[in-house]
Amino acid sequence: MQIAPDRRTTTRARPDYAAIARTLGPLAFLLLLVAASGAVAPGVLQADSMLGFLSDAAPVIALVVGGTFPILAGSIDLSVAGIASVTGVLVVVLNPVFGPWTSLAVVLLALAFGAVQGLVHCWLQLPSFIVSLASLSILTGLALLLSNATAEPIPSNDVLVGILGNTVAGLPNTIILLAVVVALLWLLMRYTGFGRDLYALGSGETAALMSGVNVRATRTLIFMLSAGCAAMAGLFLVSVTAFSSPTLAGNLLLLSIVGVVLGGTAISGGVGGLFAAVVGGLITAWLRIVTVIVGVAPTAQNIIFGLAALLAVAVTTDRKKLGVIK
Amino acid sequence: MSNAITLRGVRKAYGPVVALEGLDLEIGAGEVLGIVGQNGSGKSTLLKILSGLALPDRGEILMGGTSVLLDSAAAAARHGIGMVHQEQSLIPNLTVAENIFLDKAHPSKRHGIYRWSALNQAARAQLDKLSVTIPPTTLVETLRFSDRQQVEFAKVLAIEEMVDRPPVILFDEPTSLLTPDEIRGLFAQINRLRGRTSMVFVSHRLEEVLEISDRVIVLTDGRKVAERSSGSVDREELYELMVGRQRVDPSLRRAARPPVRAQMLLQVEQLGSHPHFRDISFKLGRGEVLGIVGVLGSGAEELCRALFGVIRPDAGTFILDGKQVKAAGPRAAVQRGIGYLPSDRRSEGMLPGRSLTDNTVITFGSQYGWKRTILNRRRERAAAQHWMTRLKVKMNKASAPITSLSGGNQQKVVLSKWLLARNLRLLLLDHPSRGLDPGARDDLFDVVREQVGQGLSVIFVADTISELLELSDQIVVMRDGEITARFAPSSGRLPREEDIVAAMV
Repeated sequence: MQIAPDRRTTTRARPDYAAIARTLGPLAFLLLLVAASGAVAPGVLQADSMLGFLSDAAPVIALVVGGTFPILAGSIDLSVAGIASVTGVLVVVLNPVFGPWTSLAVVLLALAFGAVQGLVHCWLQLPSFIVSLASLSILTGLALLLSNATAEPIPSNDVLVGILGNTVAGLPNTIILLAVVVALLWLLMRYTGFGRDLYALGSGETAALMSGVNVRATRTLIFMLSAGCAAMAGLFLVSVTAFSSPTLAGNLLLLSIVGVVLGGTAISGGVGGLFAAVVGGLITAWLRIVTVIVGVAPTAQNIIFGLAALLAVAVTTDRKKLGVIK
Repeated sequence: MSNAITLRGVRKAYGPVVALEGLDLEIGAGEVLGIVGQNGSGKSTLLKILSGLALPDRGEILMGGTSVLLDSAAAAARHGIGMVHQEQSLIPNLTVAENIFLDKAHPSKRHGIYRWSALNQAARAQLDKLSVTIPPTTLVETLRFSDRQQVEFAKVLAIEEMVDRPPVILFDEPTSLLTPDEIRGLFAQINRLRGRTSMVFVSHRLEEVLEISDRVIVLTDGRKVAERSSGSVDREELYELMVGRQRVDPSLRRAARPPVRAQMLLQVEQLGSHPHFRDISFKLGRGEVLGIVGVLGSGAEELCRALFGVIRPDAGTFILDGKQVKAAGPRAAVQRGIGYLPSDRRSEGMLPGRSLTDNTVITFGSQYGWKRTILNRRRERAAAQHWMTRLKVKMNKASAPITSLSGGNQQKVVLSKWLLARNLRLLLLDHPSRGLDPGARDDLFDVVREQVGQGLSVIFVADTISELLELSDQIVVMRDGEITARFAPSSGRLPREEDIVAAMV
């Protein structure tokens, strides 16, 4: 979390119960959910199925972590699922050009795309909602066009995808990479001015501007990180399926937003963080397991996730802060 | 003469700041009542209470002998009170007719279905009362400011038909953005209605108040200090009355010091930004305080914003430390060592959801870290704590959100953001004491004065004349975007308050 308690203050004040509930509530909900599932179907708590769950959850968590940055700053990035899909397609299409290093090149391309998105958003002063929605359409279209709407096997010489498909000491490499990336992002948020500027933008853009915050650079970096995480999620997906499909991440857009909100990050910006993102991603991934246990048909899963999104936003929105609903 | 409205013992306070203190006031039927007073004297609060936008803490409002509750603009309208706002309240993308009847039930739009011809006809009738020829079907956004004011006037006047008593119309600084010809037109309208409706005319411009009003009331610090019929008072006497009790204790005035011009910091030459201000020139040395004073719309606030890079000047030059500066936004200004304490603390000064520490370290925290890249949170926190202690911020803990503090303490935190800087050269204070109680104000000014002693230069837009005289080495008075007077208290000659007020209005 961003605010460290200041131990040097002389007067000891009451602990802020609301803030604690906001931070730990989602974690308690996750544990409750897992415990309840374990009670109904004890098999899900075994080490094997837990590891399976984690590799399954890695793409969703990556998307949620990436999507948290724009939302913390009061924007939103709806293009993440599109970037994840295009990533899978490009890993195949660009292989003749970049050879074994294709997937790294694709991640760099995604970062550049995110930067362009951020720049369009702040130079033209367009709402991030519409910029990223347009990007989503462009990207999904691009994925279909480049792949001729067919699924292709991932070339076996791709180094990064190859590594991701392996394990170290029983731990899938996707989980290790995800943990490393989240740790690096946490350091970035906590020990550079970026994290502070990000929260400042989310809690009051005019005041941030008037305090000398570099709004454009911060927004650009936010969308780069979001796109970078989305590309990583795309690589996680193809490392499991071994095939690239243009609709690989099609249904992950809503899930990524649901995850951000379920973790306790406020959709209005300024409140939340990486810890909340990881917890939210885990809850969202576990909800898929719950739907299987309960016996919801896969075709009806999106209904559950839509309802969960509404419920989560309704519970976590701080209505005192809202002036206008749009 | 019977009274349209009588106020008895009305008091209104915002936190520790008392805006109105036990005010008794009568507004006669058919009279034009002028109200004058300095900034913060309670004029706006009085208008807010009369128009239903604020409720008094104590006291009562009587209309026709019975006490009334004005708890919304609609309630005020039901009692026949309407206000012509300084910043207009019309909706630009609706037509004139729609705007006139926006806040009123009317047969032409019963059940929410518009009968346009009937509505336009009814609007025409209202506009005819003022002999205004604007077509009711015009979109408001296409009208000039003065025409929009006429529409607003007609909108308020239409209340007449809804109540069985003569309406009361409140004017809040109606002339501040009008040309002399347009002012003549407005006065003709007021004269036409004189005797038929009661009107309250609030303005900084004393000549106009004297010309149009039957009776003038002077407010100071929320109290009525004088009441005169317009015939029996002149401009000079009104100045005296306005300044009157606020006369500054001479011991509080900044002691005369030798001029500190030796080291020049800032040279502003013929700076202009249409339509805010034009032809502004002054020089400021290191460790010197330039006080600017002017009524609302004088351009003083905009001048500060232009120096901070928020407003782009379209003429003149601005030289800082021998280098010409181009307006390139707040960030560039911050990097040049310029700080700005905005008058709108809520939306521009503070980050509402963040803690006191976060609010303090947002701009210069990185200066305490490694190569301005990696933060050193402990050192920043210590620096923030240092300045909050120096400014006597009353708080429980530095990690509490800034919104948990009172206004004065919030302002102190916003100021400490700039004091954290190691290279601050120029600090712009835009109405720094607005809404602050005297104690918090003194804490703030003590620290500013001390920084000035160490070489910081300050430009400061004052709320009151007393704080202006208390802090400034040079004084500039602005009116309608131009400098109308200059005084140099640092050379030993203290200006008379009357002279300052005379240049303001």
